Amino acid sequence: MAKEKKDDEFKVKFSEPVGMMAAQSVGEPGTQMILRSFHFAGIESAIATSGLPRIVELVDAKKKPATPLSTIYLTGSAAKDIEAAEKVSRKITEVKMNTLVRRIVENFSKGTIKILLSGQELESEELTPKQVADKLGKLMKLDCSVEGFAITISMHTKNLREIRAVRVKIMRAVISGIDGAGKAVVQKDNKTGELYLISAGSNIESIITVEGVDKSRTYTNDVFAMYRQFGIEAARNALARELKATLDEQKISVDIRHLLLIADAMTASGNIKGVGRHGLSGEKHSVFARAAYEETIKHLINAAAFGEIDPMRGVTENILVGKQIPVGTGSVKLAIRKEDMAKVKPKA
Amino acid sequence: MAGKSDHEIVPVHEILRLKEVNELLQEKHIALENLPKIMESDPQCRKLGAKPGHVIKISRNDNGNAYLYYRVVVEG
Repeated sequence: MAKEKKDDEFKVKFSEPVGMMAAQSVGEPGTQMILRSFHFAGIESAIATSGLPRIVELVDAKKKPATPLSTIYLTGSAAKDIEAAEKVSRKITEVKMNTLVRRIVENFSKGTIKILLSGQELESEELTPKQVADKLGKLMKLDCSVEGFAITISMHTKNLREIRAVRVKIMRAVISGIDGAGKAVVQKDNKTGELYLISAGSNIESIITVEGVDKSRTYTNDVFAMYRQFGIEAARNALARELKATLDEQKISVDIRHLLLIADAMTASGNIKGVGRHGLSGEKHSVFARAAYEETIKHLINAAAFGEIDPMRGVTENILVGKQIPVGTGSVKLAIRKEDMAKVKPKA
Repeated sequence: MAGKSDHEIVPVHEILRLKEVNELLQEKHIALENLPKIMESDPQCRKLGAKPGHVIKISRNDNGNAYLYYRVVVEG
């Protein structure tokens, strides 16, 4: 009869070096991962960073991911009806002025800027020249007049430099959608048939304010955006989820508990810290542990100058000086009571 | 009494009463500052109106494994 493993047998025993085990468990299969992801032209809309570069990005707590990606879930009819979903997508998709403009001409002697809009682009975004002019006027406080597809902006100055600056700003202006949301594409879940959007942006703060967006499920791979919007616990879960997803994608199976531990350690201080020199390793209590990692001289000199004391309770510092590490059986000490000592008979 | 969180990724946060805080610290044999931290400015803290020194009880669920986690509110 095969012995069934009880829950207790999966529990971590006292003094087990869980951090080391997590490091080994992620580090070893990490050597199998691809070092660089290749981008193929023409596939879908966005290709997310994957493999080792993505793991490094997560673990170093990079403020902005190289390829932000949001999964936007929809509520009500938008989740089923493709047209309703497209409508939400249009509200989110960021449309910059430069995609709508066919020609832009400055007249420095009159102090005007003339913009000729592309009818085709306007149609595909369902905008009218009037809407564009109104938005521009509101956004940058300009005097705009519309004539057909042409917008004329009269400036109060004839200064060449100022007019140029305004022109650059106009081209960058976001006419519709959400700044930093990128293009939202409607996708269909193969299993449930539910419709959702994917956008190449991480401005989740604004995305969830759009009508028809499911606030309670919309997710982004930008861990810091999740942190700002939902707090440290969300960041911790998002970190573990992203690590797991990246490893799964490469068919590397690592027990989720190792990843959860890493995520817990990175978020223990209330904000997200990387594991490197400026994060967990650089903030270790022990001088020797820090010196053994990076910038040895800096740490030793500072410790000497400020008279730091190292209690030698960690693993690294004990390896460094050649003592037993306080882990497993190494974390207990034997002692004998005085009265028992008397009972010990010396060998004849 | 546990409320619903505002996102599927956010576990339920609650402020722990002082009596429960003392029991927790005694049971775990730790000091308040040894608990993991959460910023006062954290969206979840602001929602609860937690102040520095409060302990937040977090009802976590990792892959079907439900357990409690605690964070102490710190300034920031």
